Amino acid sequence: MQRKIIHCDADCFYAAVEMRSRPELREQPLAIGAASGRGVVTTCNYPARAYGIRSAMPMAEARQRCPQLIILPTNMTTYQSVSRDMQAIFHRFSPLVEPLSLDEAFLDVTKTTQFQGSATLIAQEIRRLVALELGITISAGVAPNKFLAKIASDWQKPDGLCVIRPDQVEAFLLPLPVAKLHGVGKVTAAKLHDLGIHTCSDLRQWSCAALMERFGRHGQRLYELSWGQDERPVVVSRPRKSMSVERTFSHNLPGRGACHERLPALAEELHQRLGRKSLDGSTPFAKLFVKLRFADFSTHTREAGWQQAGLPGEADFAPLLDYLYAEQEQRGVRLLGLGVRLSEPVRPAGQQLSLFNDQQQPLNHLRQRQPGDNADDQSNHSASHHIGGVVQSQDHPAGHDAEGEGQQD
Amino acid sequence: MKLTLSREALLQPLQAIAGVVEKKQTMPVLSNVLLIAEDGQLTLTGTNMEVELVARVDDIAVEQPGRITVPARKLSDICRSLPEGVTITLSVDAERMKVKAGASQFTLSTLPAEHFPNVEDDAESFRLSLPQGELRHLLEATAFAMAQQDVRYYLNGLLLEVSDSLLRAVATDGHRLAMTTLPIDSGIDATRQVIVPRKGVQELLRLLDDVVTPVELVIGENHLRATVGGFTFTSKLIEGKFPDYNRVVPRGGDKTVIADRQTLKSMLQRAGILSHENIRGVRLQLEPNALHVYANNPEQEQAEDAMAVEYQGESLQIGFNVGYLIDVLNAVNDDNVRMVFSDPNASALIESGADDECVYVVMPMRL
Repeated sequence: MQRKIIHCDADCFYAAVEMRSRPELREQPLAIGAASGRGVVTTCNYPARAYGIRSAMPMAEARQRCPQLIILPTNMTTYQSVSRDMQAIFHRFSPLVEPLSLDEAFLDVTKTTQFQGSATLIAQEIRRLVALELGITISAGVAPNKFLAKIASDWQKPDGLCVIRPDQVEAFLLPLPVAKLHGVGKVTAAKLHDLGIHTCSDLRQWSCAALMERFGRHGQRLYELSWGQDERPVVVSRPRKSMSVERTFSHNLPGRGACHERLPALAEELHQRLGRKSLDGSTPFAKLFVKLRFADFSTHTREAGWQQAGLPGEADFAPLLDYLYAEQEQRGVRLLGLGVRLSEPVRPAGQQLSLFNDQQQPLNHLRQRQPGDNADDQSNHSASHHIGGVVQSQDHPAGHDAEGEGQQD
Repeated sequence: MKLTLSREALLQPLQAIAGVVEKKQTMPVLSNVLLIAEDGQLTLTGTNMEVELVARVDDIAVEQPGRITVPARKLSDICRSLPEGVTITLSVDAERMKVKAGASQFTLSTLPAEHFPNVEDDAESFRLSLPQGELRHLLEATAFAMAQQDVRYYLNGLLLEVSDSLLRAVATDGHRLAMTTLPIDSGIDATRQVIVPRKGVQELLRLLDDVVTPVELVIGENHLRATVGGFTFTSKLIEGKFPDYNRVVPRGGDKTVIADRQTLKSMLQRAGILSHENIRGVRLQLEPNALHVYANNPEQEQAEDAMAVEYQGESLQIGFNVGYLIDVLNAVNDDNVRMVFSDPNASALIESGADDECVYVVMPMRL
């Protein structure tokens, strides 16, 4: 049966939620994220993007590009609540909703009967309802499978709809740059370009075996995608059991001290990931862990219980690192990772509403910053370069290279 | 101290007091019952510092007056296990109390009566008297909605509101609310509100029978005192501001459904079997003249049921914790219930079909 998949993606979600309560910010460059220290941009609005500001850019760099940038701290509780409302709207059209993060989800509407089953009309209606009921815009992509739907949602961003009908797939795919394919990041793209492969049409000149020879299992995936094949179902609940970030270094870290120096950047990156992914607000972290791979490829992990509220920081991981290093101060380290194991997730479905609205949202904290107005910025400036300075491993298979982070589900 | 009385005269007050005495105590004396014998009367007192129950047994043979405390539960269990109709002699010798009945003899440890805490006296603000059965109904119809160990401590109890012509009980845990109103002639000119803690409500309910014999309520600044037959029950009051219940009773619902209470309850109980065991969500689908219910759980098991109802209006889908609905249907004392809905995110009003003495508000779930 021909499937009908919709990919919905909120436009600059965090920023959009903030602008909803402060419409005066709509025309001004706005970034969401920690303003001080090693903070990075988690989201920015389109006026900010005009200055070249992008997600994951260090905030210090963003401020250099746009001195009048308005920076708001993340307000995760509100985003989670808006996200739940958005999911509820998706659920009106199909029980098959797969959230990818707070602001993104796949819907399988193959069996939906509303709007005579027209996925295009359903997507339009979802976009209309989200705008009407939640005051933010989303972009949607409609296609016969997940990977095309996801590419399509990005096609007309922001506030757009792009439909790839089954009979349009070929025309859409052939000129599609390979960098748009799911799992193709900078490293894989560069390798493909070296082989003279720039579009899916180029990719189709290669046999599955030849691609696998060069890219391993990922080669098979590339082959299938170039032919528009993606049978992955929309999975309703995929409870996440852990989340981690890890780095493989091109030159081994010389010992414990060097590992400690890397902790802050990794902890910060873990924060970003924990914030961005679809974690139910009430899901507590049950355990923290640190993973080390020494120069001899032996891999060690150490974990410890974690009961506290809030996000774990570098100081919480440091003792685990010390434990792993107990008797081996000077061993070289190829890979360092940090992560959290999550306790049983609370099902987001079934949220009991309250009679009293006494849990008021804290007011947002508006800060307008000028470059150099805070000594912290200066002292941490060099530290922020560590993030960019970490060299990613070449011996990881492609697919990690887009984000450079391991994930254990 | 030495006295003699029948097993039955001792057993009933002891069992009532054993309910007040909690199993886990911080102070040893709190697991004891205080016995005071004087002038042909035995007074028994148990407390957990929040509630206190005093029972009086008259016309008994006090050979030697005195006061002492002994383990409440042990004395109650001994008394209960003795044969019916026996005569029991209690006597204190040195620091032990002897319990004798025929050939049975027990020696219990004691603690001095001076160690037993007193409820401090409290200025009376007002009093009222009403038939036991009416107060019992008022509390029974409402108490189930009280919160349990909520951080909003004022919800862990029941609001009693007295005005010139009404006695009202309100309980809420923040997700649902129950309110019962009785017409009375209190003679009180201003409206007074007190919050009786959960334990106080539960113990008071145990004392009330479904009879017209009056219960005397005396309400002070910090305590509520109820006198029923030979019992005097005192509960501390919760200080704090109870939420404004008028604000949460919905007025604007435009979808009114009349349903047979028992049929609806059975249907919800069946469907509830396959709801998520902790979340207990079910989906109601309202159509003209029909109410459907759907439930499913993480194992993807499903239940679906339907019943005929009186309803003319738009269709509506709304989710609820099925336990909250069943609690209400258990409390409603009528063949029919009236339910008023407005939209999937707004509270539902549930009343008995006949009168509006009891009002229930249940917030929906997002499913």
